[in-house]
Amino acid sequence: MICTACSCLCDDVFIEDGKVLNACKRGFEHISKFKENRAIPRVRGGTVDVDKAIDEALELLKSSKKPAIYGLDTSTVEAQRLAIKIARKLGCFIDDNSSFCLGDFVEMILRKEVPTTTLDDVRDYAYVIIYWGANVYQSLPRHMSKYTYYPRGAKRNRGYDEDRYLVVVDVRKSDIAKLAKKNAKFIKVERDLELVESFIMAAEGKAPKHIEVVEILREMKKSELNVLFGGLGLKYGLGDTKILAEMINKVNSYAPLAFLPAGFHSNMRGFNETLFEDVGFVNKFSFAENRSDQRFAFTELLKEEAIDCAVIVGTDPVASLPFDISRKLAKIKTIVIDPKDTVTAKLADVVIPSAYSGIESGGTMVRSDGVRVKLEPLEKAEIDDVYILKRILEGL
Amino acid sequence: MPLTPMEIYKLLPKTNCKKCGEQTCMSFAFKLINREKKLEDCKPLFEEKKYEIQLKKLQEMLKPLEKATETGLIVNEALCNGCGNCIVVCPVHVEKDPRGAGVGKGPTIADPIYRIENGKLIVLNMHACRRYGKSRILCVVCRENCPTDAISFLEG
Ligand code: SF4
Ligand code: SF4
Ligand code: SF4
Ligand code: SF4
Repeated sequence: MICTACSCLCDDVFIEDGKVLNACKRGFEHISKFKENRAIPRVRGGTVDVDKAIDEALELLKSSKKPAIYGLDTSTVEAQRLAIKIARKLGCFIDDNSSFCLGDFVEMILRKEVPTTTLDDVRDYAYVIIYWGANVYQSLPRHMSKYTYYPRGAKRNRGYDEDRYLVVVDVRKSDIAKLAKKNAKFIKVERDLELVESFIMAAEGKAPKHIEVVEILREMKKSELNVLFGGLGLKYGLGDTKILAEMINKVNSYAPLAFLPAGFHSNMRGFNETLFEDVGFVNKFSFAENRSDQRFAFTELLKEEAIDCAVIVGTDPVASLPFDISRKLAKIKTIVIDPKDTVTAKLADVVIPSAYSGIESGGTMVRSDGVRVKLEPLEKAEIDDVYILKRILEGL
Repeated sequence: MPLTPMEIYKLLPKTNCKKCGEQTCMSFAFKLINREKKLEDCKPLFEEKKYEIQLKKLQEMLKPLEKATETGLIVNEALCNGCGNCIVVCPVHVEKDPRGAGVGKGPTIADPIYRIENGKLIVLNMHACRRYGKSRILCVVCRENCPTDAISFLEG
């Protein structure tokens, strides 16, 4: 089966004699605990049947003046498409977690502002592998062993200590920084911008502040493919992707460097791509104004009290957002579509229980590098995101 | 953290009374790690009440020894998140399973040394490890690439 616990979407996971094989701990917990803590259909706290919950959701949406749809990062592309159709029909806001995660990075790639690659090509050809602000041991546990530093690849078959050059950039000595030993570098940065500028200067042949960058560029020259994985640390360290794009392109005038985002939920990139195909933006979009804006990020909409109703799909803002933002959810109507009885679901006006994509429901997801993966669910639930969203779309 | 003789020594009575059959407490500590002696061989530790706390600590510390495999390998499950680095780097896997573990996938051979079961590293076939048997070599590749030091070997 395909593990859908993170955007690596590992394809070699299977179950044998009741044991989950090859999935990391995070994947195992996802796969083995899916039956626990399930959502039940509810309307204002009272248990109802699914049809009633969907009808009630429709009523709320019809009477809402300013609704928003939010989440969808663990839903399939098929479900995401339906949610976008609903948003268009309602002329409302739609956003996912990528607006405060790595959406900017994905947008940069989809707009073709920087060269990119696939994880399969990284495995087969990449020499210099840079992780910047991403401790993938925690966020994407098998990233290094399955796709980047450790596997032997078509043209990289001599093992990591000879055929790869690892660079880890972080504010502290992270788990993966400890792996930067031979043929490797750990750069501890306080200010990411300084290092970005150093790369630009070195590529222009000037002496940079971070002198180790010169050696990294020299190593890059040895290979036709090198890759930079940008994580949340880099995004928040810089605040703006323009200078990053400039750096990547500058470096490319000297030696090849492809860019990939390192992070996120299983199908966050799917959401970004699906929305981008449709409207040309990756997140925080308003169908009423037909544009994307920071003000349309779900967190901003809540903060500014700009919405009166929210459809929350497969995410738990009450548990994950800061309290002064999430408490605003109490002021609006909330419709939760989720397999899990989340904290948000417990407080919602309407709860429609769904199925776990990848375990109980099939479809397509998009890996962090843009490769589309067909899910191989263990079961086939009748009621999943697609079923629910289709009913809502038809009922409006 | 690998267990060191020094850490054990610090908790022994340090009287060099020789009741254990060793000349010094330090050499007793070495033998403990190599499993040539048992903690029970240090009689004073058990007989004298003043060593009670040290004894408890030692027993706690030596627990992994019981679990160590024949190659002296110990996996601390609590530290392992199943990242698979150790499996993919192991030179034996690379050689025997070039299209499975060698390219980053879960092992596809019937008897890998390691595999990930229920999210944790499991030792399946220690006999294939380079540290095993007469012509053994002190390979540490798997340990070196575990970000959380979940793998340790008794002999360092
Ligand atoms: S790395 Fe991600 S996709 Fe792969 S097994 Fe772990 S949680 Fe699942
Ligand atoms: S019996 Fe205990 S105290 Fe005496 S020498 Fe041996 S280890 Fe030291
Ligand atoms: S010690 Fe070497 S041969 Fe043995 S399991 Fe570890 S990497 Fe493989
Ligand atoms: S490298 Fe360490 S954390 Fe990763 S699977 Fe092996 S023992 Fe577990």
